[in-house]
Amino acid sequence: MDEDRVKKQEGLIRSVLYKNLMEDYTPFPLDKKLAVKWAAGLNVPRGGRVIIYTSYMYQMASVFKSYEKYVPTLGSLGKSRILASIGSRFIKPSDEDVERSVKILQNIYRMVSRVKADVGYLYEEEPYSGSLLYELGFLDEFKEYGRKVLQFFREKGVEEIITVDPHTTNTLANLKRYINFDIPFKNYITMIGTVKGGGKFVMHDSCLYSRFLDMYDTVRDKAKSAGIELVEDPTVTGKGVGFCCGGPVGPLNDELSNNIARARATALKSVYENVLVACPLCYVNLEPYCNVKDLAEVIE
Amino acid sequence: MNWVELISMVSAGNYNEVESILREYPYIVEIADHLREEKMKVIENLSTYVDITMRNVEKLGGHAYLAKNKDDARKIAGEIVGENKTVVFSKTNAAYEVGLREYLESRHNEVWETDLGEYLVQISKGWPTHIVAPALDMTREDAAKAVRKIDPSINENSRVEDIVAAVRKFLMTKYVKADVGITGANAVAADSGAIALVENEGNIRIDTVMPQVHISITGIDKIVPTLRDAMDEVMVQAAYAGIYPPTYINVTAGPSSTADIELKRVSPATGPKDFHLILLDDGRMDASQNPDLKEALLCIKCGRCYFSCPIYRILGKDWVSTKSPYNGPTGVMWNYITNKDPWPASYCVHSGGCKEVCPMKINIPEVIKYIKYMGSKNL
Repeated sequence: MDEDRVKKQEGLIRSVLYKNLMEDYTPFPLDKKLAVKWAAGLNVPRGGRVIIYTSYMYQMASVFKSYEKYVPTLGSLGKSRILASIGSRFIKPSDEDVERSVKILQNIYRMVSRVKADVGYLYEEEPYSGSLLYELGFLDEFKEYGRKVLQFFREKGVEEIITVDPHTTNTLANLKRYINFDIPFKNYITMIGTVKGGGKFVMHDSCLYSRFLDMYDTVRDKAKSAGIELVEDPTVTGKGVGFCCGGPVGPLNDELSNNIARARATALKSVYENVLVACPLCYVNLEPYCNVKDLAEVIE
Repeated sequence: MNWVELISMVSAGNYNEVESILREYPYIVEIADHLREEKMKVIENLSTYVDITMRNVEKLGGHAYLAKNKDDARKIAGEIVGENKTVVFSKTNAAYEVGLREYLESRHNEVWETDLGEYLVQISKGWPTHIVAPALDMTREDAAKAVRKIDPSINENSRVEDIVAAVRKFLMTKYVKADVGITGANAVAADSGAIALVENEGNIRIDTVMPQVHISITGIDKIVPTLRDAMDEVMVQAAYAGIYPPTYINVTAGPSSTADIELKRVSPATGPKDFHLILLDDGRMDASQNPDLKEALLCIKCGRCYFSCPIYRILGKDWVSTKSPYNGPTGVMWNYITNKDPWPASYCVHSGGCKEVCPMKINIPEVIKYIKYMGSKNL
């Protein structure tokens, strides 16, 4: 590996991430109108005791994947105000990605609403969870930002959080461990009741769901109970060999990330042609190499 | 077949093999759980166990040394070996870690790796790809090309059997004149000063018996409380490497001896007259005192975590620098312990497969997270 490249990129990412998060609660300047479009269409209540927490993951997954490309520019822009005004214009997901995330989040919200009334949303005020800080190992900054997020949620009167993706769920679990984040949270898959779905897929597990959050069976059970047929091969879909979509290394090395995604897609396709995921990053990383659907696109 | 295709096939093979072994020999899992507990006892009190081990090696008529670092280890081994000797090596990661082969060669010794994979790496002037299968990335054609250097009858059409036979023939000429045999140790029993080694080829057995001097160099993390634990460790290592039962398990307790005359144990007998155990610290003692790092010392180097690691499966030996013989998730931890190099950790994608397949149940992602953090502090 090219250690000099890694050091340079890490240093840049840390400074850009930290500055943006501490000033604006987002990892990079983003168009929040696009991010909240899904909720406006459903008239989701603003705020509330119980909130659905997207952490921008579905809305910005394609942008997260390209983070490496933007960081040098963002780093060189310097002043955060300039950065915000320019950044939100050039870092945009495609219309197709926006529409897809709108459908997914609306579907998740509808499934959640069937078992929980009055679930609100923080709209443009929603803070990013800090996943990138944690996953890249910037633990001091992660804890500091985590305290800020906790304080923010408290000020907003949030008493319960429903997460929609593995990275945010895992981040809250680690905030609980590191800074005693004491607001209860649960992932939507663990709380939705009976759902319907269809299709035949090979499951690509989210690393975080299956091996860190003990949801390997939970996700499978939910899919199967909805009527989805899952094709398994223990050497490809077993808990210990589930591989990765390549997403987490994307910020540091896009080529390596893509090579992992390609290898993973090849293995999955050897089991079955259609792939099911339950994470927005898995979706955007695998999507160029295989037919992929998110769980929230095939159940309702 | 490119690397990604090759390692995918090998990984699936290892997965199936290990699963089959664990089904057929369910006691392995129980042994592994027990071994973890015993190894943790040593890690919690490492300096005491080092002292006990060294005392018991001396009691057997062997010689024991504690090498603080790489330089120290090279000097100790160099003085034992001397110059203008023929040395046969068994695959030993600790020797790789300290650069022992190159050092002995620089002192005008003829040094030969005798593990087939490691021999192929040596004559190709390469670097080990995997901790158990060093030449994992070499095809039959690559191996033939390398072996042709010592046997012109080998060519790219040669069968694997022919290549193996050519190496065997070559190494036999070295074994018979070897002055010193150098091995590692899969485990060192504190209670008895005995070392345990596991292998399939038979080269370790020869290296430990034919030359009149046997040096074992290994990390202090390989110490376990008892000889029973040492036997457990070799069995677990072999099973999770996907080869069980292993062809050979060797125990060496001091120099050769006999008690055939009046039941009086005397030394030497046919085998080596001298046995030397070099225990290598090289960062391990510090690691044992670091709550975020000490679990890494439980690693038995079965190399199974490599196969579940997405980064290793793409980058192979290009991931962890060639300053370390350890690669994959194991290598990220051990390169940090022995070289204080945190940077390979940056590429960890926290897939978590390493933790799932580890027989010692090491929380590898958590250890790597700490190493990432330590790296980020130095940006």
